[in-house]
Amino acid sequence: MKSNSDNNTESKSTSLRYPTAVRIAVVGGVFSVIVAALLAVNYVQRTVFDERRIAELDRLKIEILSRPNDEQLMGRIRQLDLEVRRDRIRRVDFSRKGGWLLAAGLVVMVVGIKWADTLRRKLPHPELRGDVRAEQVTEATWARRAVTAGLLLLGASALLLTLIPQVDFVKSSFEVGPDEVWPGFRGPGGVGVGVTTNVPVKWNGGTGEGILWKKKVPLRGHNSPIAWGDRVFVSGADANERQVYCFDADSGDLLWRGGVETEAGKTSEPLDVMEDTGFAAPTCVTDGKRVCAIFANGDVGCFDYKGKQLWTRGLGVPESAYGYASSLAMYRNLVLIQYDQATEEDEKSKMIALNVLSGQTVWETKRPVGGAWTSPIVDKVGGSEQLITCGDPWVIAYNPANGEELWRAECMGDDLAPSPIYAGGLVLAIESNVKMVAIRPDGRGDVTKTHILWMVEDGIPDIPSPVSNGELVFLLTSDGTLTCYRLTDHAKLWEQDLGTGFNASPTIVGNRLYLLSEKGVMIIAEFAEGYKEAARYELGEECHASPAFVSGRIYIRGLENLYCIGSTASQEP
Amino acid sequence: MTRRRFLRDSLWGTCLAGLGAAGGYFWGRSHKQDTVWQIDPYTCVACGNCATYCVLEESAVKCVHNHAVCGYCRICFGFFGPEPHDITEAAENQLCPTGAINRKLIEDPYYEYTLDEKLCNGCGKCVKGCNAFGNGSLFLQVRHDRCKNCNDCSIAAACPSGAFRRVPADKPYILKRADHT
Amino acid sequence: MMRSSHVTIALLFPLMLTGIASAAERFPPPEFETGYELPPVTNITQAVPRGDIYEYLDVAVLAAALALSSYLVLKKRSRRWIYTLMIFSLLYFGFWRKGCVCPIGAIQNVVLSIFDETYAMPITVTLFFVLPLVFTLFFGRTFCAAVCPLGAMQDLVALRPISIPAWLEAGLRLFAYVYLAAAVLFAATGSAFIICRYDPFVSFFRLSGWFNILVLGACILLIGVFVGRPYCRFLCPYGVILRQLSRLSKRRVTITPDECIKCRLCEDSCPFGAIREPTAEWPAGHYVKSKKRLGLLIAILPVLIFVFGWLGSELKGIASRAHSTVRLADRVHLEDAGRVEGTTNASDAFRATGKDVEQLNAEASGIIAQFGTGGWVFGGFVGLVIGLTLISLTVQRKRTDYEADRGSCLACGRCFEYCPRENVRLKRLKETVGGD
Repeated sequence: MKSNSDNNTESKSTSLRYPTAVRIAVVGGVFSVIVAALLAVNYVQRTVFDERRIAELDRLKIEILSRPNDEQLMGRIRQLDLEVRRDRIRRVDFSRKGGWLLAAGLVVMVVGIKWADTLRRKLPHPELRGDVRAEQVTEATWARRAVTAGLLLLGASALLLTLIPQVDFVKSSFEVGPDEVWPGFRGPGGVGVGVTTNVPVKWNGGTGEGILWKKKVPLRGHNSPIAWGDRVFVSGADANERQVYCFDADSGDLLWRGGVETEAGKTSEPLDVMEDTGFAAPTCVTDGKRVCAIFANGDVGCFDYKGKQLWTRGLGVPESAYGYASSLAMYRNLVLIQYDQATEEDEKSKMIALNVLSGQTVWETKRPVGGAWTSPIVDKVGGSEQLITCGDPWVIAYNPANGEELWRAECMGDDLAPSPIYAGGLVLAIESNVKMVAIRPDGRGDVTKTHILWMVEDGIPDIPSPVSNGELVFLLTSDGTLTCYRLTDHAKLWEQDLGTGFNASPTIVGNRLYLLSEKGVMIIAEFAEGYKEAARYELGEECHASPAFVSGRIYIRGLENLYCIGSTASQEP
Repeated sequence: MTRRRFLRDSLWGTCLAGLGAAGGYFWGRSHKQDTVWQIDPYTCVACGNCATYCVLEESAVKCVHNHAVCGYCRICFGFFGPEPHDITEAAENQLCPTGAINRKLIEDPYYEYTLDEKLCNGCGKCVKGCNAFGNGSLFLQVRHDRCKNCNDCSIAAACPSGAFRRVPADKPYILKRADHT
Repeated sequence: MMRSSHVTIALLFPLMLTGIASAAERFPPPEFETGYELPPVTNITQAVPRGDIYEYLDVAVLAAALALSSYLVLKKRSRRWIYTLMIFSLLYFGFWRKGCVCPIGAIQNVVLSIFDETYAMPITVTLFFVLPLVFTLFFGRTFCAAVCPLGAMQDLVALRPISIPAWLEAGLRLFAYVYLAAAVLFAATGSAFIICRYDPFVSFFRLSGWFNILVLGACILLIGVFVGRPYCRFLCPYGVILRQLSRLSKRRVTITPDECIKCRLCEDSCPFGAIREPTAEWPAGHYVKSKKRLGLLIAILPVLIFVFGWLGSELKGIASRAHSTVRLADRVHLEDAGRVEGTTNASDAFRATGKDVEQLNAEASGIIAQFGTGGWVFGGFVGLVIGLTLISLTVQRKRTDYEADRGSCLACGRCFEYCPRENVRLKRLKETVGGD
């Protein structure tokens, strides 16, 4: 009741009840304040002190693992645990009861205050108003001004808020075309087919003709170069060091190098690997924002585009007769590792998927296989993606999102090196020197008896992987025999002896085959009507790794150097 | 005067008609039943927000155990902490902060794990362990004898995986089934 | 034995950090030899939510309270009875029903059901929204008087109300309109129910709640001791709708039963500053000036609407962050670009679903676009309100008696308790002529 008037008359009884009312209000108020304080203390206890005790308890629980027989410590843990749990219940209980008590106290206080107020109510004596014309006009004017001020305030604050920059995630995706990426071993899908155009047609390593740049790679490795946009990645290692290198695609400058080292990868004696394999045989993989590499001692490292190390994982040294060589594959944000080792009976092999951002294992599936030197591929089969692996003795396909096995076929032996490919609706897997098998990938479970379409045994390679354009498949042996089969009826169309040795896998770009020999000679051949050699170009250096065909250029890794074959400007339209 | 009166009356009539039309429209779109909040256990990631974000002192969310899905493992990853001192029911080995799970030997090597609802506080640690390593037979559900059915559920707003949704009040629970993989 | 098991668990612990949502059943169902019976799924299905019959009961109580309140305000005209009904409403709708669902919050449900086909609003919520509006259209703000529990809380503590100058009142009331528009925008885009989230009194009704909201509620109540019903007058989004409907109502609160003697006792008694004095004759020249100003204001009204509408849509960048999908897309993008360290539960959960980032970005962009269009409506509405307020402050109605402002009057019943003419009618006072 608003009133600013003078005194009034009170009845006696009112003046007696007034102190009572005030006392009630005071009692209620004091009670409320006490309860509120207790509740606050309770709250602080719950959030601060209890949390500390829980952290202490966790710490003790870890400590007891190193001293398992310490009775006193065990006693303390049990005591602390009991206290924490008991107090938790007590505090929640008190909060609830305290809420009721506080409410009751406040109600009493409000009732007391209102009663006191009613008893002390004064009669209102509003002033009489005289000429209100001017006042009313002024009031209205001021009201309008206030609203205008509100308008300006709202407008200004809105403008200020719009100035706060927000994340623009629409622009996040890397704008590269499919001919600008060679993201892993044997390119997109791992099938060895390049989609770039304007590939160089002439070069000479000796004279430097046609070669854009040639740079020494600090550490050797047989892994193939990969590229994305304006970056080329390779890795190298020796017995002590493992490194990932990033070169600029246009200038060849070594932009950064990142070392990979983990505890699990440390060995007391130097790792025993075959010289032909080396310490860095597996090819890296990239998604345009990050690049990952794995090395012979089971170390995996991941770097972002600028070279900052994101994470490393030590998977442990794999038991591999010739040295670990399976390249990495990638599916969405998962790095896929074919961790095959030892023999089938040892049951040590598995397929591992790591989150590319954190390195944490997303899924892991055991593989009933022994060691192999093939690499996994991820391809779209039917409507969904399949992760296809060639192992000893099973060819297995997984769902790359969760590691669930889709189908498997028992058709391989040991010492596998050529990686499988998916072409013409068939999965083609090779058992070194023995046979090539064509499997229909639309089965489920064990499809050994039902989905193997055909098998051929002539001209089977031991190391290089096959390549196909969807109708014909080409097999290249390491001593130089190139064989061509037709996929539809597995008819052998022709065979050609190239007269030189090969380690790198063949690639098809356009309607030509690119075959890189061990001596560094690239043989370019047309295959439409039988074998027809179109050209041979010398690099002048021994080559083991498969080349990358991207943005109108060819990246070849020799024993010592990385070459970029192409012209000054990048060739894409 | 009369013009103003007419204007006001017609505006009044329009508002009434508008309210009637709106009422009719919403009546048509309305659901006879009330809706309540519930967790989809297949989407839940057991982040622990259920225990802390509920407006009630002790969360309305509690854990449920579907024994048909349970593997009855000796080492239950919903029961035992990540680094237990020993595989016994001693308090220091348990994952549950309130000791709400009871472990009982049925026959070797099968152990039965039951929940004491009075103690469960909905933190989801057991759910996380069971989902990561076990069969996922433990899951969180909103208890409707406790839930106040707030219009804007605070846990729903804080759920990182969007597992909270409104369900009709006659089917207020989404339970995990044994045949779901 | 023990050592290997805890080592195994320790090695597997990193796996635990992924917290996979859907667990494959890794272990086969056990085969019991002792005839053990599986216990049923914990009998939680016995804990059922409040039966629907009770929801309908709430609607019935609401309708009865509204009817009773209208009767008490307009026919019986007894503050004491209104006060009693108000206490009942506070206890029932406030402390018993915990203040939820209330008509104020129902605005959001109604808006969401318009824009989201998957949201099925219960009939009771529709009725909660519509009933007070209908009663207000007929009888004035009798809902505010004795039915709304939030209003009741504030009314109880209004002990020393001061009078707010009219210009301040007009300015502060703008905020309620902005709040309404914002609540509608956020509800329509499915981002959040901000009225519920920032309801100051719900934590009192529940006797528990978040610290911040408790403090907010306490502050508003403290202010309410000196400013009558601050939430109702300057914040309540439902109240601004009721204002407009109440201005059109057929029946309304009248103070004096017969003639007004201009004693000003009613104006003095109103804690909410809702009594308007009789208007005097305007000074010369004022009429012409007013007309000019009115013309100007009507002319710039579309400009105001357009400018504020544009501002509102420009706010889409920041406003859309209220939606969890947009925040998630932000976070995922920042993580991918390496601009933040680590991951959050939400981004982990998202990546575990294996959903395409492109799809997430597309969804988020769609929501931002919604905020763009919604922002036009939001801003345009605010601009309209500002323009209309300015216009209404230019137009002056003629009043001969002291009257309750049709929009602002909360029908609390204090004014006619104090009116001497009313007291004469009720035979509480004797009519005297001259002298005392």
